[in-house]
Amino acid sequence: MTHPEETTFHLPDLGEGLVEATVLEWLVRPGDRVERNGPLVEVETTKSAAEIPSPHAGVVARLHAEEGETVAVGAPLVTFEVAAQDAAGIVGTVPTEEAPRRRVRLRPPEDE
Amino acid sequence: MSPAATGRTGAEAPAPPATMREALNRALDEALAEDPATLVFGEDVGRLGGVFRVTDGLQQRYGEHRVFDTPLAEAAIAGMAVGLAMNGWRPVPELQFDGFAYPALDQIVNQIARMNYRSRGRAPMPVTVRVPSFGGIRAPEHHGESLEAVFAHVPGLKVAAPSDAPDAYRMLLQSIRSDDPVVFLEPKARYWDRGPGPSGPEAPGPEAPGELPVGASRVVRSGRHATLVAWGAMVHRCLRAAELAAEDGVDLEVVDLRWLKPIDAAGLAESVRRTRRAVVVHEAPLTAGLGGEVSALITEGAFSRLAAPVQRVAGFDVPYPAGPLEPQYLPTLDRILSAVQRTFGA
Repeated sequence: MTHPEETTFHLPDLGEGLVEATVLEWLVRPGDRVERNGPLVEVETTKSAAEIPSPHAGVVARLHAEEGETVAVGAPLVTFEVAAQDAAGIVGTVPTEEAPRRRVRLRPPEDE
Repeated sequence: MSPAATGRTGAEAPAPPATMREALNRALDEALAEDPATLVFGEDVGRLGGVFRVTDGLQQRYGEHRVFDTPLAEAAIAGMAVGLAMNGWRPVPELQFDGFAYPALDQIVNQIARMNYRSRGRAPMPVTVRVPSFGGIRAPEHHGESLEAVFAHVPGLKVAAPSDAPDAYRMLLQSIRSDDPVVFLEPKARYWDRGPGPSGPEAPGPEAPGELPVGASRVVRSGRHATLVAWGAMVHRCLRAAELAAEDGVDLEVVDLRWLKPIDAAGLAESVRRTRRAVVVHEAPLTAGLGGEVSALITEGAFSRLAAPVQRVAGFDVPYPAGPLEPQYLPTLDRILSAVQRTFGA
């Protein structure tokens, strides 16, 4: 289950009843590796401009809109290539093994 | 479908050690293959293959009559298992997350746990209720709980909590093959861990000589100064703590309890009679947690040898916190080491 798989991110509902957004500037290009919550794209709605963070860690496979193009909420925005392991957990995150950290030091018992 | 996920790797390349979820997938695959009465069902287990991919590919292989999706209704999932078991099936329902197990408790406690007793043995309940359990994946509320003490308190249920991939494989097959109901708590935080060594058909199965029986604990690290007792994901953390303790010249034993009902009282006593000190570690809140039961069993079985009161390191007596607070809630290495030091009398 370590083969990469593709997952497509659709333009999320930006709230306030907005049904579309215009791509102002892509902050990634196909082939770029992105981190989860890293900057992805800047979009503009009739209310404001907003930066959308990446929902996945992975490699950008395809962008589905040009800069200046208007995209409907729910339409494909970016396709990522992600490790299947990362994609598999629908809720929560895959724990990472961190180097053990400690403050407490031990003294062996005296009665041995 | 990758070869690793199917458990059918062929002869080309040696498969890497399976992750725990792959090992569980193989166990389910084997259980479905060996007994046509085995059924796997629950929320998203069929078409999706489970939110953690534990049932990946099983519906394609065994059809939607044997591996099927249910409504989001845990009481119905557990209740369905009761009726199916009474009619000769061997149900393996999944409750998608521990926090969603509460609606199923009525069926589990009042029916699954009691039916064999109530029917004087005429209606056994060969049901294995799989519950992705415990914390460590920073999930939202209701997606990380430690219910082991709730289930272990119910007469008629067996409760399992494996700590690594090969053992998860063996214990799940053992549970499904058992004619008694088992609540099988899978440590979500270890789903992606590859465990020590192979799992699946190439590893010793439950029928292999030397296989641990239901209810047996195992020593996963030998030591002489104190015994750490844990289950599920906390076994791994205790092993880390033991490595740190070794840097200070302190030699810790780690016991993986494995079965939380029945509890291996003899195994616990054997270890602590040697080390003379014990620390029980669990994720669930301290008060009325299973650590109290384990502590009592150790005291009863090793009292004359104990050099210090048995210590407990547990979650705090608060509702299970949101993801960002998990590292503060779960027993830390420092809390475990401090408890060890307390058993040394300082």
